[in-house]
Amino acid sequence: MNLNDIKKRAENEINSAQDFNQLREIEKKYLGKKGELTQILRSLKDLSDIEKKKVGKESNILKNHLMDLINKKSFTKKGKQFFDVTIPSEKIQIGHLHPLTLVRRQVEDIFERLGFKIIDGPEVETEYYNFDALNIPKDHPARDMWDTFWLKGKKQLLRTHTSPAQIHYMEKNNPPLSIIVPGRVFRYEATDASHEINFYQVEGLMVGEDINAVNFKAVMEKFFEMFFNKPVKIRLRPSYFPFTEPSFEVDLQCFICKGRGCSTCSKRGWLEMCGAGMVHPNVFKYVKLDSKKWQGFAFGLGLDRLAMMKYKINDMRLLYANDIRLLEQF
Amino acid sequence: MKFSYNFLQSFFDKKLPKPDKIGEVLTLHSFEVETITKFRDDFIFDIDITPNRAADCLSHYGIAKEISILFNLKLKDINPKIKEECNEVIDIKIKDIKECPRYTARVIKNVKVKQSEKYIKDRLIACGLEPINNIVDVANYVMLETGQPMHAFDYDKVDKIIVRRAKKESFTGLDDNKYELDPSMLVIADSKKPIAIAGIKGGKETGIDKKTKNILLEAANFNPLLIRKASQKLNLRTDASFRFEHGYDPNLTEIAINRLTELINGKPCKLIDKYSKKRIPLKIKFDINRVEKLLGYKIKNSINILKSLGMKINGNIVTVPTNRPDITTEVDLIEEIGRIHGYSNLKSEMPVIFLDPKLREDNVIYIRKVKDILKSAGFTETYNYSFVSKKENGIEMENPFSEDMYGLRISLLTNLVKVIEENSKHRKDLYLFEIGKVYGKEKLMLAGAALGKEKFYFLKGIIDLVLNGLGITDTMYLGDDVAEIKVGNAIIGRIEEVKTNIYAFEIDFEKLIKLAKNENEYLPVSKYPAAIRDISVLVNTNTKVAEVMNEIYKHSKLIIDVDLFDIFEKANQKSLAFHIKYQSNTKTLESSEIDSIQKNIINGLESQGFKVRK
Repeated sequence: MNLNDIKKRAENEINSAQDFNQLREIEKKYLGKKGELTQILRSLKDLSDIEKKKVGKESNILKNHLMDLINKKSFTKKGKQFFDVTIPSEKIQIGHLHPLTLVRRQVEDIFERLGFKIIDGPEVETEYYNFDALNIPKDHPARDMWDTFWLKGKKQLLRTHTSPAQIHYMEKNNPPLSIIVPGRVFRYEATDASHEINFYQVEGLMVGEDINAVNFKAVMEKFFEMFFNKPVKIRLRPSYFPFTEPSFEVDLQCFICKGRGCSTCSKRGWLEMCGAGMVHPNVFKYVKLDSKKWQGFAFGLGLDRLAMMKYKINDMRLLYANDIRLLEQF
Repeated sequence: MKFSYNFLQSFFDKKLPKPDKIGEVLTLHSFEVETITKFRDDFIFDIDITPNRAADCLSHYGIAKEISILFNLKLKDINPKIKEECNEVIDIKIKDIKECPRYTARVIKNVKVKQSEKYIKDRLIACGLEPINNIVDVANYVMLETGQPMHAFDYDKVDKIIVRRAKKESFTGLDDNKYELDPSMLVIADSKKPIAIAGIKGGKETGIDKKTKNILLEAANFNPLLIRKASQKLNLRTDASFRFEHGYDPNLTEIAINRLTELINGKPCKLIDKYSKKRIPLKIKFDINRVEKLLGYKIKNSINILKSLGMKINGNIVTVPTNRPDITTEVDLIEEIGRIHGYSNLKSEMPVIFLDPKLREDNVIYIRKVKDILKSAGFTETYNYSFVSKKENGIEMENPFSEDMYGLRISLLTNLVKVIEENSKHRKDLYLFEIGKVYGKEKLMLAGAALGKEKFYFLKGIIDLVLNGLGITDTMYLGDDVAEIKVGNAIIGRIEEVKTNIYAFEIDFEKLIKLAKNENEYLPVSKYPAAIRDISVLVNTNTKVAEVMNEIYKHSKLIIDVDLFDIFEKANQKSLAFHIKYQSNTKTLESSEIDSIQKNIINGLESQGFKVRK
């Protein structure tokens, strides 16, 4: 068979093809399983070595050439020759979840995988749960750490932290236990780019017979590593909360400057991420657990802060402004 | 509180490390150093002293003590011996020693009121205080140094000292403000009237002025609660009241007054000290093994750390100095050991626990599910404030934040509708929702709102979608203008047009969770063909479509769907056209069988007074 002959015929036919189907037929005729060119390639085995090399090479060149021609002359199935894929996409209507929901889910999922159960707690609380049972006595200056919203009559208040949920849970459940409590909290204070009158915390509590500070550090490290999806460095430093002793502040080494100090971490090299500590024996006393037997850690993470870091939102108030132009980006 | 580097240096013979180094070490072991600022030839540390350490660390000496432990530097002693040159004493009466456990005083004669020495003025300014005169300045200086609030009276204007509750009386402070006192407050009085609000503010009349020759120094200790309440009631917070309300060590007054005496040029007289019930150091039982148990690692020099903090150890009993009222239990000692040793190099080790996975709570499951359904149906989630404005209905607060953030919301729609209106400048179609708490009886609610014309049936469809997603199928909509959403016997919410072209729904999410089913069972698909017949009914305008549909369904179990495909109104009548879909699971339906059901349906509809178009 003559390769030149095949070439001539095939080129002619491709040129004069009118639609998609015709083109497919031509492709089949020459390049298909039983196509003319395919036959030649298959019969190579019967030729001498020199012939094999020569014909083989030419056949392959021709095959690639024909495939190029066919591809260049692409038809749509409908037969239109010009099809513009750059025309803008159709707008598919879909809604968007709030960045706080997205971050909350991620936090919940990570802690669930670490064995924590997700618990809900009331936003309207009594003084007992928000303060007294957390070892913050009435008329103690430590109460000034939390600026409080009171409901009329001063019998109830809006929880200033998610910690009261620790008390509710331990009143009803015996250790060992590990829970997280994500939820809305309230502070009566002037608002600015990093303060809001309502915002979100995630309380964490793990109690067992041997749960210690070293365990706490490992859990937090793992959490931040999974949340930011990269290796992290954290450090603990002393702090004070009446319901934990010892109390810690958890710092995360700044990703941007790796601890050298930059504008993101206001030159500190570290970002303050959460307050924590070992549950105070007085708290165990309030929920009638034996502090000689049980010990553990508690922490409070700011969800808004995590969302702001993750999405580079520089003003907390934007999270509650509900501007559709922001929400649609998530 | 602000601390001066030079001031701190004055307690050490050796040169202190650089300010940055001190800042870093204090942050990791004691308190967060928020800023370090250069000020003239000094550096100012702004240190966030935690409330538990107010008694010892709202003072330069207290911070110097921390530095001395952390850098292993020898700290100078500050308890000077005073050579008393006269015997002048004043009569001091304390009405109740519980309110004033200690009152220490001293007369100094022949003083000269003038400007302070430069280093005193510099350090006061560095710490944010304004120099006044040499007497007042050193009193402040010693407060910054030791923490003990001090006061100096003009001795010639005071005949005696009585520590008593105030009567209903007026008092003019050194700040020239007039304060109305009452019996809840403690005062220092002479034989006639109050000369100071105890622990809060000195009086104008007995204050130091240029003519003052002899002075009376006061270093006292007061009940923290009384000071706190009086300061709150008078809305008057001073450096003194802030310190006293945290509870100070009564053993501090003598050191402080001697230090103050040392800094004043004059003839010091005999120390006068009313201290009948001495505070004695607390003893705590301490099991050293608890350190490793709670922290998770061994600290070899635990005992040395406690000693360096001034504690005495005898067997398993630790005696805590009286200037550390924050240390009352074993865990407080463990914290001291932990922080001085340092947490920053703590290893991390995952806890060893038994696997005991817990099921997700229903609310977590269903909140996620509903949010996902609404999102895919085109709804965008919002997070609104829990507060509504003064004009709107809300639960009243004792301390409302502002006119705009006044009461607590009782419906999510109040704020959601506002958000729709605000965003209407950016979009013509808007679909927003929120899941959040309302108050009064605290409840979780779901609300959605749509902007646009005739969105009522759209929202109805959305609610069907949500409810079906939760496995709820027996939903009904009742009412005329506002539609109530009824599932079984429970009304769970409503849909309405809240404003022109803003349609909204609100559903009690807690009821929804109770009704929701997380299981779904497969129903076999019929192998036999379905048949469709149309029927057209003419009814009065105010007849509900549901009435007609119910009548149709009633006639056969073989009707698997009734679909309203056309509706139009004419005069006071409307025409409804339905596709009726028949199908059996067991056989192919005969035409005659369907015809006979259709006949029954027509008869049924007509007996209800509906006209069937044939």
